[in-house]
Amino acid sequence: MSQRRDFFRTAGALALGATAVSRVGAASLPEAVYQTSATMQPPLMPPNGRPYNPVATLNGWSLPWRMNNGVKEFHLVAEPVVREMALGMKANLWGYNGSSPGPTIEAVEGDRVRIFVTNKLPEHTAVHWHGVMLPNGMDGVGGLTQPQIAPGKTFVYEFTLLRPGTHMYHPHADEMTQMAMGMMGMFIIHPKDVRQMRVDRDFVFLLAAYDIEPGAATPRTAEMTDFNLWTWNSRVFPGIDPLVCRTGDRVRVRVGNLTMTNHPIHMHGPHFVVTGTDGGWVPPSARWPEVTTDVAVGQMRAFEFDAVAGDWAIHCHKSHHTMNAMGHDLPNMIGVDHKGVAERITKLVPDYMVMGDKGMADMGSMEMPLPDNTLPMMTGTGPFGPLEMGGMFSVVKVRDDVPRGGYKDPGWFKHPQGSVAYEYTGEVPAATRADAPKANAKTLDVRKPGGGHEGHH
Amino acid sequence: MNHTLPRRVPTRARLTVAASAALAMLAGCASFSPDGGMGAVSDLTRERTGQAVSVQRSPEQGDTARARVAELLKAPLTADGAVELALLNNRGLQASFSQLGVAESDLVQAGRPRNPVFSFGRLAAGGVVEIERAIMFDVLSLLTMPMGRELRQQQFEQAQFQAAYDAVGLASDTRRAYFNAVASQELVGYYRQVKDAADASSELARRMLAAGNFNKLAQMREQSFYADATAGLARAQQQALADRERLTRLLGVSGDQLRFTLPERLPDLPKEPTAPKDAEQTALDKRLDVLMAKRSTETTAKSLGLTRATRFVNALHVGYQNKSETDGPRANGYELELELPLFDFGSVRSRRAEATYMQAVHRTAEVALNAQSEVRESYGAYRTAYELARHYRDEVVPLRKRISEENLLRYNGMLIGVFELLADSREQVRSVTEYVQALRDFWVAETNLQTALTGRSPAPGAAPSTTSASGAEAPAGH
Repeated sequence: MSQRRDFFRTAGALALGATAVSRVGAASLPEAVYQTSATMQPPLMPPNGRPYNPVATLNGWSLPWRMNNGVKEFHLVAEPVVREMALGMKANLWGYNGSSPGPTIEAVEGDRVRIFVTNKLPEHTAVHWHGVMLPNGMDGVGGLTQPQIAPGKTFVYEFTLLRPGTHMYHPHADEMTQMAMGMMGMFIIHPKDVRQMRVDRDFVFLLAAYDIEPGAATPRTAEMTDFNLWTWNSRVFPGIDPLVCRTGDRVRVRVGNLTMTNHPIHMHGPHFVVTGTDGGWVPPSARWPEVTTDVAVGQMRAFEFDAVAGDWAIHCHKSHHTMNAMGHDLPNMIGVDHKGVAERITKLVPDYMVMGDKGMADMGSMEMPLPDNTLPMMTGTGPFGPLEMGGMFSVVKVRDDVPRGGYKDPGWFKHPQGSVAYEYTGEVPAATRADAPKANAKTLDVRKPGGGHEGHH
Repeated sequence: MNHTLPRRVPTRARLTVAASAALAMLAGCASFSPDGGMGAVSDLTRERTGQAVSVQRSPEQGDTARARVAELLKAPLTADGAVELALLNNRGLQASFSQLGVAESDLVQAGRPRNPVFSFGRLAAGGVVEIERAIMFDVLSLLTMPMGRELRQQQFEQAQFQAAYDAVGLASDTRRAYFNAVASQELVGYYRQVKDAADASSELARRMLAAGNFNKLAQMREQSFYADATAGLARAQQQALADRERLTRLLGVSGDQLRFTLPERLPDLPKEPTAPKDAEQTALDKRLDVLMAKRSTETTAKSLGLTRATRFVNALHVGYQNKSETDGPRANGYELELELPLFDFGSVRSRRAEATYMQAVHRTAEVALNAQSEVRESYGAYRTAYELARHYRDEVVPLRKRISEENLLRYNGMLIGVFELLADSREQVRSVTEYVQALRDFWVAETNLQTALTGRSPAPGAAPSTTSASGAEAPAGH
């Protein structure tokens, strides 16, 4: 929802800070629209200009524009924001126009855009339009192609969009800090011909990684590899919106990666084809059929599929990336007998509980007090129990009865009779096996979790 | 005095009467006091320690003391109870009280004139026998008796001061030993907890190794915490034993009495630290070493006066003499002996006395200056110890506890493992041991301050310890 009140307040602030915008004149600045909610906003149908099929930004929104003599004018405000990463955890980030990531910018091939960037950060910034071909002086590399935008200043970028595709925008000034603080957004250039690459649903999200100490709220920007929050649009499961589709829809998912590692994005169910890369649309003859597409650092991928009814998981296939904050130096307690020791520890630490001796699945269901402002490493509950997931995880929810253009969460899938895996209750004959190798001092004696395994030792 | 010699020789009878009267008068003033001077000692001690003292001379006194000792030993000892017990029971102190008896004997002795000297001579030559008889009185000693007696009186008072000084010293030693003993006994319990935590870690690590989840290095690291904690506990136990034995010696207990119990914990920190008024003046007015030095100077002054007065006379003997010869009439007469200052005009002795006096004056000034300085130092140490103990109680221990609570939350979220949790619990216990040490230091500093204010020099090296017995353990590197 566009917040008009915020707009007026901002407009007032801009009028007061007239010196900052005197070069373009206060009257010529388009309104800076703010959005602080992390609820997915309905796709922005273009009110003017060339028509296009808008995208749906997971837990996000698209930035409205103003037409000015045939030029689409956008206004981005770089500023500190508070982002709720999932219910129960808020992060102090930097973003644009009230949110991190910033709003998705959508325009059409051939459009001339003029983007005003106001810097309300405590340090200078610059915006690089990642993947967009434009005049070199508009490329947004502070110090190289332009002076940095000092705090309080507004700069103007103006260029014509030459090629459709999936792009991003992010700072290129103190970018290590600014990207680690969440400054980024999607930049979608739609084809001039609305029939080209047409799909029914077009989802976009950006991958980002944060290291926020449990109990803290601001990311440790110096971290390079050991992140504890793997996010889509600065949200973690169960805070990530489902990708709601109607059976038979042609669906596109666009992913940009601004973390410091690659992410194999895997979707269950329908096979997909990779239709877009950083370089634009992939010719049909060159498309890769896949169920997992690796999105390397700084890359974008778009893949498409025909929706099949069901609740299909979609996630990064690096298993730690589907976890929330967790210790990475934990000893593995599997198979360790706690008899006697646990009681002694309880004497010293009264609320101590044995965890991890049978694996970590406990964590999916246990509800124990945690430090403030953090999330359990595994969380979320499905119709059959704990999901034991966090981080880069969501569900493609495909239903027959989802209305066209509707994105409301339809709830859990109702499986047709006899289509759910079930327990076998018949005889389990003893397996005939060859002798196992004899154990020696170096052999690990792994004890399997108990329950339903009485047949073997 | 030499010029007032009587012209007329008194008759034998008159002399005898006069001497007897003088003797009777003087002897009347110089007898033993019923309490042997202990009353004053007890008052001096009570004013400074809150506890009276007594000597056990008679069997009844001994029984009363024994009964009180038994009563005190029944319940866990308090600090005051320990002091009372030591004052009743400590043999060294009783020995020092006996010195008081010696001083009193000297005093009484000084109140009695010297025994008269009777001399008898018999000479026989050619049938003639000559007999000389003389009775001599040390007149000078009679004349100087009041002064001499005063000197002895002062010495007796000094002995009383000394006895009180010893009692106060014992009381403060006992209080210090008491607080040390209670604290180290309390610390044993905490070191045991540290060991338990390390033991649980070690045991778990051993099982981790057995299950194949730990390598030897990780297991041995946990084991080494346990080994260190075991050594720490052993040291703490030995310290507790040593501190208790030191207290035992001061209390003078033995046999079954050794089973006396101490409270589990040190007394709580007072709500507010005391701020003594006119602390330095109090020390000058009350401290026994200052009072003793002052009195000693006064005594020296008196003896200086005496020396001046008698500088030309070191002895004046007056005697009645008679002589009888065979067949001859009995001759009566008197004898005088006088040293004339022909070569030594007494200036040497006078100079010596003056030097002695000045020595006493300077020594007293030194004692007074030291007392003032010690009061300032003890008060500083006391305030520091108070602030430190309060800091540990209000800041360090609660903070450590909150850290432990946060760590448990992190354990719950699987952000840290059980070994970090146990390492943290060891650290938490350690912060409590540091508080106990700080509280002990406070009570010792309080004892030192009270001693410095009213009693005597506090024990050397009794300042609060600047380092705690246990340095913070380096965080376990997992």
